[in-house]
Amino acid sequence: MQPKWMTSIEEIVGQRHVLTQPEALATYAQDGYTLSREVPLAVILPGSTSEVQAVMKVLSRHGVPVVARGAGTSLSGGAIPVAGSVVLHFSRMRQIHHIDWENRLVEVDPGVVNQDISRAVASEGFFYAPDPSSQRVCTIGGNFAENSGGPHCLKYGVTVNHIVMADIVLANGNLRRLGNSTADPDGPDWLGLLIGSEGTLGIATRLWLRITQRPIDSTTVLALFDHIDEASYAVSEIIAAGIIPAAMEMMDGLTISAVERGAYPVGYPTDLAAVLLIELDGEPGLTEHETQETLHRLALRQVRQVVKAQNATETNLWWANRKTAFGAMGLISPRYYVQDGVIPRHVLPDALKTIRTISQDYGIRIANVFHAGDGNLHPLLLYDNHDKSEVERVKQAGSDILDYCISRGGSITGEHGIGLEKISEMASQFNRQELAAQRAIKDAFDPTQLLNPGKLLPMPGRCIDYAN
Amino acid sequence: MNVDQCVHCGLCLTACPTYEATGLEMESPRGRLVLLNNWAANANFQSRDAAQWLDDCLDCRACESACPSNIPTGHLVEEWRSTVPLGTANRRLLLGLSQAVGSPRGLKRLQRLIRIGQNPLGRWALSKLGSLLSIATGDVLDGLPPSILPGLSRESLTTNMPNADTMMFVGCIMDAVYNQSNEHTAALLRLAGHTVTVPSNQVCCGALHRHGGDPATTRRLAKANIKAYEATGAQQVVVNAAGCGTTLKEYPTLFESGSEWHFRAISFSRAVRDVIQTLAERPLAQLTQQSTTITVHDACHHTAQNLNQSTRALLERAGFSIREMPNSTRCCGSAGVYNLTHPSMGRTLAQQKVSDIPPETQIVAAANPGCILQIQAGTRHYGRNTVTVRHPIDLAYDAYRAAGYLGGVADAT
Repeated sequence: MQPKWMTSIEEIVGQRHVLTQPEALATYAQDGYTLSREVPLAVILPGSTSEVQAVMKVLSRHGVPVVARGAGTSLSGGAIPVAGSVVLHFSRMRQIHHIDWENRLVEVDPGVVNQDISRAVASEGFFYAPDPSSQRVCTIGGNFAENSGGPHCLKYGVTVNHIVMADIVLANGNLRRLGNSTADPDGPDWLGLLIGSEGTLGIATRLWLRITQRPIDSTTVLALFDHIDEASYAVSEIIAAGIIPAAMEMMDGLTISAVERGAYPVGYPTDLAAVLLIELDGEPGLTEHETQETLHRLALRQVRQVVKAQNATETNLWWANRKTAFGAMGLISPRYYVQDGVIPRHVLPDALKTIRTISQDYGIRIANVFHAGDGNLHPLLLYDNHDKSEVERVKQAGSDILDYCISRGGSITGEHGIGLEKISEMASQFNRQELAAQRAIKDAFDPTQLLNPGKLLPMPGRCIDYAN
Repeated sequence: MNVDQCVHCGLCLTACPTYEATGLEMESPRGRLVLLNNWAANANFQSRDAAQWLDDCLDCRACESACPSNIPTGHLVEEWRSTVPLGTANRRLLLGLSQAVGSPRGLKRLQRLIRIGQNPLGRWALSKLGSLLSIATGDVLDGLPPSILPGLSRESLTTNMPNADTMMFVGCIMDAVYNQSNEHTAALLRLAGHTVTVPSNQVCCGALHRHGGDPATTRRLAKANIKAYEATGAQQVVVNAAGCGTTLKEYPTLFESGSEWHFRAISFSRAVRDVIQTLAERPLAQLTQQSTTITVHDACHHTAQNLNQSTRALLERAGFSIREMPNSTRCCGSAGVYNLTHPSMGRTLAQQKVSDIPPETQIVAAANPGCILQIQAGTRHYGRNTVTVRHPIDLAYDAYRAAGYLGGVADAT
């Protein structure tokens, strides 16, 4: 016998848009974070904002928690169901409604794929700037929830800088339009508060995004290093020279060995310690000057080779290689756990040394790939999910890395979010008052704890434990 | 290589035509890997629904190109199909088809049947018969070329020519339905300076059987083809159907590593070339640009063989201008006999493909017989009656002939 609320929801969205077969639900038990799983009670595929409202009204009346899901690529468990919850899967709401060229805005559904927006506006020389590595599949709704970044956010800013307005369905099913088309907040910046709240405060069902003019000139450079520390110093020195590259990415030897076996091998020498992928863009004269300056800074370090991309095909290959780095870990390890800590750029060499030590202490292989330009580390802790002790050691090693980031004045997440993954580190990052303030905001929006509960904020009891 | 290697990154989702069409996780490659895992681990998960979602896989391999961990999801589903009882996966057509395509005599019967389907009364009768068996024959009959020459191409082309450098592989549907395209392929190969032999003892490549979960039959057919090739002494085996091409190139995976047949299959597969590849290695003359604009649909198995650029290069040398369609690499839903066994998904994908054809373009090039049938039928069902779908080799043949090559007479200029 199915519960009454399920029948009401079937009437709202249509029976075929509610999944309840156990075989189907099992496919929704995980996202890109594989250290946790939970099977939902049902998966609901709404087709419009009004359906989402109606569904939320039924669910709130019956106290059923909700987890919103786009492509399920979250790396912190943001889209993993919680016990007794339903999943709202937005794959049916994926239309680009309107492109306002004059005001450079695009109106989209939450299920629209990030890269499809750039494709839709490319003909007029525009792009949508935030470019998470999962951009060819991840959705704008998920980007909104996680305040997603990406390699090019070093220069262009993250999601919060590119969403100007959104329609939000609240826990009780009410609809609010936050922000405005001029992107100038009138009163408190409610929209800014919602972006990055990981689906715990409201669900975006329509979004207005800013599009950016493609830079006239762009140069991509690869620098190959025999010592990872030399690469780290080069990063700091390039930024210190006043250059803001569009992107500055680093991969270490272990990462290179994985991506080279993957779908987009570049042909890197097999004995490299690190590679820097640097993109410079802007006005032609300035880009040329910055490129020269960057090459000069690189030459001052012990670099084996510096290569400039000759054409777009080469640039695209280098990026495809970099952007599939996480997925390619499957080639060298059964599972990986990716960290997302942030440190001030100048401590990069010290951070890498610390990670090496942690790797040795716990006997865990760690591959490093990161947005070097903004100090956002992505150590990939490799493990075998069938080895219980290794799983525990990986969690502990990950926690140690985050503690280190905090101790150096950094943060536990750059762009992947807290989700389930880093919830216990929240108490290290924030003090009791700061956590209480965040909890008060949550309670104001979602007093009965229906929206993605158990994510982002530690439960009140636990947060006191941690703070003590 | 196993299911467990998936790290759930999800980068395959938008590459998968069935996920794009349904928006359901279990119709995605990542979801199918979960289904496969559970199917193997727990009998409770071996349901009709799970079987349907697994069997909906087109075997188009688009996810395999997108996967950073190189997980062969298509192969894993294929393997699953071969282990489940008949009826779990949709293999209704398999018995009849393997009879038909497996031998020249069967192919002739199939050709006769198809020719009957070309007249209105015959079409009516065949689609009625099809619907009784829940096979969407009507959909496919609408995609047939306006006329099919009687007889198989292997008969008109057979030369057991000694010392030829090229063995031409004639296929099954190409042999019976697109026999003219096979003749055009031989003509262009000769124009490029190759000597062509067409041994009459070659057989179907076995792709349909393998995708349907019957690798034993594919193995039998593979042995026959390898023997036929070895007897010719040719340096290469040239094929013009994308689907056959990948199957022939994958013959070594049918045999136990280290066995004699594995060794022979490796030598064979190294000799296999798509005709597009052959004509890229020894290019034909550059023709002056004509005014005709065409668009290209990239057959899944052409993409898998990395032939999309060469196809465009051949067409451009032949003087065509290409206007790209969006998502040119997305599966059209033909997928072997998929459009017959999964009519609803097949139609959704055909409709998407037709809507992607640029409005002012009247010719679509597609290098696989299934795609040609499927997209041609789609144009008739979804309001693009004036569009014709043709093999790139046919387009090139017409162009070279009109330019005075191949015994044609050059247009007076």
